[in-house]
Amino acid sequence: MPASTPKSSPRKSQTASQEKKKPATAVKKDEKPAGRDIRGFASTSTNKNGASSSNAANGTGKKPITIDDSDEEEDKVEKKPAAKPAATTSKATTSKHFASVSSSSKKPIVLDSSDDDLSPAPSSKPPPKAKSPAKPVVKSESKPTKPTAAIKRKKLIASSDDDDDDDDGDVKKEADAKPPARKRQSVGGGLAKKVNYLESSDEEEEEVEVKPKPTTAAKGKNVKKEKEPSPMDVDSDSESDEDDFIDDDDDDDDRPKKAKATPKKAAPAKKATPVKKPAPAKKPAAKKEEKADGDEDREGEEKKKKPAFNWRAAAAARAAGPKAPGSKEIPEGAPDCLAGLTFVFTGELDSLGRDEATELVKRYSGKVTSGPSSKTSFVVIGENAGASKLKFIQEKKIATMTEDEFLEFIRSRPGGGEMDEKAAKKKELEEKKIKQQAKELEEREKEEEKDRKRKEKALEGTGIAAKKVAPASAQLWTTKYAPQNLKEICGNKAPVDRLGLWLKEWQKNYKSGFKRPGKDGMGIYRAVLISGPPGIGKTTSAHLMAKEAGYNPIELNASDARSKKLIENFTNIDNTSLDGFFQGSGIKSTTVADVEINSRTCLIMDEVDGMSAGDRGGVGALNALIKKTKIPMVLICNDRTLQKMKPLQGTTYNMTFRRPQPAEIRSRIMSILFKEKMKIPPNVLDELVKGVNSDIRQVLNMLSTYKLGKNQMDFDEGKQLVKLNEKNTILTPFTIIDKLTGPYAFSKTSKESLGDRMELYFHDFSFVPLFMQEHYIKTNPALTNNLDGPPKDLKHLELLSKAADSISDGDLIDRMIHGSEQHWSLLPLHAVASTVKPASLIYGPMRSTGGGGPGAWGPSFPQWLGQNSKQGKLGRQLTDIQIRMRLRVSGSRAEIREQYMPLLASKVVLPLVKNGQDAIEETIGYMDEYYLGKDDWDALVELGVDTMAESIITKKIPTAVKSAFTRQYNKADHPIAFHKGDMFAASKKKIADTGPAPDNEDVFEEDEAVPEDVSDKEDEEEVNDVTKDKLIKAVKPKGAAAKGKAAAKGKK
Amino acid sequence: MSLWVDKYRPRTLDDLHYHEELSSRLRSLAASGDFPHILFYGPSGAGKKTRIMCTLRELYGPGVEKLRIDQRVFVTPSNRKLDVNVVQSNYHIELTPSDVGMYDRVVIQDILKEIAQTQQVDLNAKQRFKVVIINEADSLTRDAQAALRRTMEKYMNNMRLILCANSTSKIIAPIRSRCLLVRVAAPTDDEMSKVLHHVAKKERFSLPSPACQSILTSSSGNLRKALLVFEAMKMQKPDLAGGDIDVAKPDWETYCAKVADSILQEQSAQRLLDVRGKIYELLSHCIPPTVVLKTIAERLVDKVDDTLKPQIIHWAAYYELRMRMGSKKIFHIEAFIAKVMTVYKQFHLMGYIDDFE
Repeated sequence: MPASTPKSSPRKSQTASQEKKKPATAVKKDEKPAGRDIRGFASTSTNKNGASSSNAANGTGKKPITIDDSDEEEDKVEKKPAAKPAATTSKATTSKHFASVSSSSKKPIVLDSSDDDLSPAPSSKPPPKAKSPAKPVVKSESKPTKPTAAIKRKKLIASSDDDDDDDDGDVKKEADAKPPARKRQSVGGGLAKKVNYLESSDEEEEEVEVKPKPTTAAKGKNVKKEKEPSPMDVDSDSESDEDDFIDDDDDDDDRPKKAKATPKKAAPAKKATPVKKPAPAKKPAAKKEEKADGDEDREGEEKKKKPAFNWRAAAAARAAGPKAPGSKEIPEGAPDCLAGLTFVFTGELDSLGRDEATELVKRYSGKVTSGPSSKTSFVVIGENAGASKLKFIQEKKIATMTEDEFLEFIRSRPGGGEMDEKAAKKKELEEKKIKQQAKELEEREKEEEKDRKRKEKALEGTGIAAKKVAPASAQLWTTKYAPQNLKEICGNKAPVDRLGLWLKEWQKNYKSGFKRPGKDGMGIYRAVLISGPPGIGKTTSAHLMAKEAGYNPIELNASDARSKKLIENFTNIDNTSLDGFFQGSGIKSTTVADVEINSRTCLIMDEVDGMSAGDRGGVGALNALIKKTKIPMVLICNDRTLQKMKPLQGTTYNMTFRRPQPAEIRSRIMSILFKEKMKIPPNVLDELVKGVNSDIRQVLNMLSTYKLGKNQMDFDEGKQLVKLNEKNTILTPFTIIDKLTGPYAFSKTSKESLGDRMELYFHDFSFVPLFMQEHYIKTNPALTNNLDGPPKDLKHLELLSKAADSISDGDLIDRMIHGSEQHWSLLPLHAVASTVKPASLIYGPMRSTGGGGPGAWGPSFPQWLGQNSKQGKLGRQLTDIQIRMRLRVSGSRAEIREQYMPLLASKVVLPLVKNGQDAIEETIGYMDEYYLGKDDWDALVELGVDTMAESIITKKIPTAVKSAFTRQYNKADHPIAFHKGDMFAASKKKIADTGPAPDNEDVFEEDEAVPEDVSDKEDEEEVNDVTKDKLIKAVKPKGAAAKGKAAAKGKK
Repeated sequence: MSLWVDKYRPRTLDDLHYHEELSSRLRSLAASGDFPHILFYGPSGAGKKTRIMCTLRELYGPGVEKLRIDQRVFVTPSNRKLDVNVVQSNYHIELTPSDVGMYDRVVIQDILKEIAQTQQVDLNAKQRFKVVIINEADSLTRDAQAALRRTMEKYMNNMRLILCANSTSKIIAPIRSRCLLVRVAAPTDDEMSKVLHHVAKKERFSLPSPACQSILTSSSGNLRKALLVFEAMKMQKPDLAGGDIDVAKPDWETYCAKVADSILQEQSAQRLLDVRGKIYELLSHCIPPTVVLKTIAERLVDKVDDTLKPQIIHWAAYYELRMRMGSKKIFHIEAFIAKVMTVYKQFHLMGYIDDFE
């Protein structure tokens, strides 16, 4: 890139990228108005001619040209008049001529031109595919054109006229011809490129037949275009062309707007025609069927048919043989070729896993959303696609493609994608901003460096070992690039603004006694509690906002001791004292680290949830402080739901910071990277940011470390980096189960290895198996998807049984691990048996298990733990009963439970139910006979099941009887088999449990403090006395007392 | 006010109603002065403990019936405090080491040794040795049993051991060889009905034979159960008349039956989930898992088609084995139920079943 501009290399890259973007936008334009295309060419040409980097321009220019060639060939294939190809070429030239015409809009136009060439080509290649590509094109076009669509049209017309005027009639014809040519190109291109699509060549002839089956809206549009060309060719009228263009524009507009599903309602017939193409193009029968279904639905016929049809289709596809994951070659697309497009995946793709497909799209700068919306460019439909999604797609007429088409799309789409003008402009703007920010950064750094040098010089002479300020190059990025002003803060704009507002209003509110809530209700709070995950700029924002509002922030964080005592005495550690200020009346100016404490001071309490062991009572004291503070306080914590943060809930305004979206961070980081001369494409950066959960600090740290080795990063390296840094996050069992049993967790396209899955188990190997055991019944296994009715149920049961067997195996292994044998090396086997294998059998979406109880929306906490501890508890109670009865009964615990208890219950429990108070006497008689106490009676009731279950029995016994029973039991003495050991131990325990020792100390000190003060005063008096006459003192009785006190004091 | 089963428990060897031969052998052992370590084994409700107490009475006189309960606290190596309940008289002491699960070894090592090292204090005692009864000896861990071996020989002078177990299979051979094995078989129906009639006579009413028969069938050789059922039946239907006396089933048994019925009613994931909740309830209410599995399986066998019966028994046995080998019992019960559901469904859907896999 021998850039003509003297600017640095980054600039070059930018220009290059711009060019790329431009082509995208240009493409759209091309499609619409021929005149525009020409202009675009002209603009490109002007660029070339212009002072700006001619090489770059050439590069961009070349691409379109090559494309044009291909188009031409295609055209030839299509048997269209040779003049047309010529026209296209001539267009380029004409456009150059007309460069002067298109002035301000040149850039986009230029891009357009290149795009135009490109876009038609990819779309055209495979006829079925062509439809889908056409869509994006349309979209992109629509966006840029929207604002000035009308104007442009006019302009176009005018320009075309101009062209005609300027050039020969040939030129005119060319302009007119262009649109048709394009269309043809799309059609013909497909033929030329793919032999498979021979049908496409027939299309033109067959079109009429084809019409009846319109697949998707996109297709329909394509069809329209195709149709247009043919009439155009015939007429070759400039006006007709214009009309067509206008139509296109409308279509484009409609699509983005969602609402206008049918751009041209007049064209149902047309739509129908395009349908044919897709049907023949689709190779697998199943797909065809699906599409056909879709068509039918559109036509409004038999909507119900669809699902059934789908099933059969799916079954057929399955029967046809296993789909081989990874069987299809993953195409190497041009960089950024999907930029500006939004994809939705639904169903199971043949070769690609969901993650893989998503990654693929992101690799080429596309976007993936989970559900289709009007903004969706394409829906890639796999097998077993969700019925509701399909319906939605049809309603909204969103373009669909199969996996093959998707891959081909990537392969064939030109680099730089076809970005709409808006996006391009946005990108451009962003780049500008980035540059500017980088510049600012640089300047700032320079200034600081200067400042530092000056200081250093000044200090040099003095010989004072001053604190050395590290040069910027030696600072951590997180320090170096910490936001210095409000607009540099990424994300959380609203809370930050509110914080600023609150700080500004603080003094006013203070004067009014915090009585007026104000319009946002913040006026009644003296303090604010900011909470949010780490690394998103809570502390930074607090500092910045405090400074911005004219306060001097003082920060106390976890590195400072913040115990109750210290906070209360405010004579805390050396120079962070707030002494003078809180004392109230006598406001002396105290300085803290060169900051004067006055009403313009703001206290920032960082890491409040870190006030723990060492800071006993700290939160309570802090709360007390908040209630009477005379300066604003900003408290910062990670999790405000913690129990110990409870006291602060009522006294502070809650402000939650959220993780910023990758987009919010992007530009900031890009400018830092720009300054650091690192080249990382935005899509890679987005992945990085997402990988660390929007932790800005971590991204910066990662990048600064990365920079030590390399200055560039591609998509794969980014993934790797994220993976390296991801390792230390421990997943919760809930997430792990979700991952293991997700609807596509073990589908054929899933690329996770056995090792990966076992890795999940090892995140928490004591809990994950329990979660799996809890969860495995609660799914709708994906493996039963191809069945219906009773066979499905049977298959489900078989899978469950297999999974249960495997879990049972796992338990045996667990016994070998945790039992006396301690075979810890069996853990991996346990991982497979207890977790991975069951998951592989029953993976699938969660089944609603009825009721909104726990686990209705995801994996639930294992019951086993609760039940096990309940069993333990009841077991202990049973042991108690057994040992008491032992003097009478010989049975073991199990025998007592199984054989005695039913009868015993009928002797001591049921009579109370039946006879009420009359039975109390008899009941107590039996209990005494077996040395059972009232507690044991309760336990006995609790141990019942079925009709004897506690809940049923207790309901049946009236409260009056119960209390009478208790009263009567307590009235008399009862034989006791033995005294339990813990009856005596209990008192000991209590002593140990009473309050913590330090509290006692505090109390003690406080008690002492009062007399001390008195004695101090006395001492002072006495001292005075003594100084007056030492000798007399001894004689005075008062003096003696003083002595005593003095002695006491001395002792202290 | 006590239950019949306790009220009419024989106190001397002469009072015992069956196993006369065993009684006379025990009597002569007690008289010989050379009393060995004894391992009593036999099914539950056959009269092992009764015989042990009778033997002790024969050895020491009525003093052994003055029981008291003590709770010993000891500390495990991992600093956990454990309570062990000890039932003792002046002459003997009774332990259930398995109450503390895997720490039973500590009980054996600490408490048993301590007892063994002290001599009989009561000079009037008929025997110079004390007797230690170890209940549920078959649930002692191997470690605990090993700890027992040497103690049995070393302190023979001061102490005799009486082990009480349901089966000798889980008792290690060295211990078996050090003990006199005494099998207390379950009473025959005749013997049981003799006892029942004896009790009826003492309670001053007569037991009609159909009622007796239904008690016998429902208690399957467990005399304790028979007596308890007898009393329950008498409570329920004081005249005991009529041929078809419905013996009141214990709560857990009816619940197990309900579980089995719901399995047969519907086979689906949702039902499995419901059943899991019920099984949890049974287990947490201290019904032993083997009993749960067995009861459900029996009920299932009663109700299903003949071709399925072997299947169900096969799988019940298969999973019971696994359950005993594993630690989390419900996993195996659930696997059993899932298997039964599958087999049952398959049979009803396809009309055939796979062979045991």
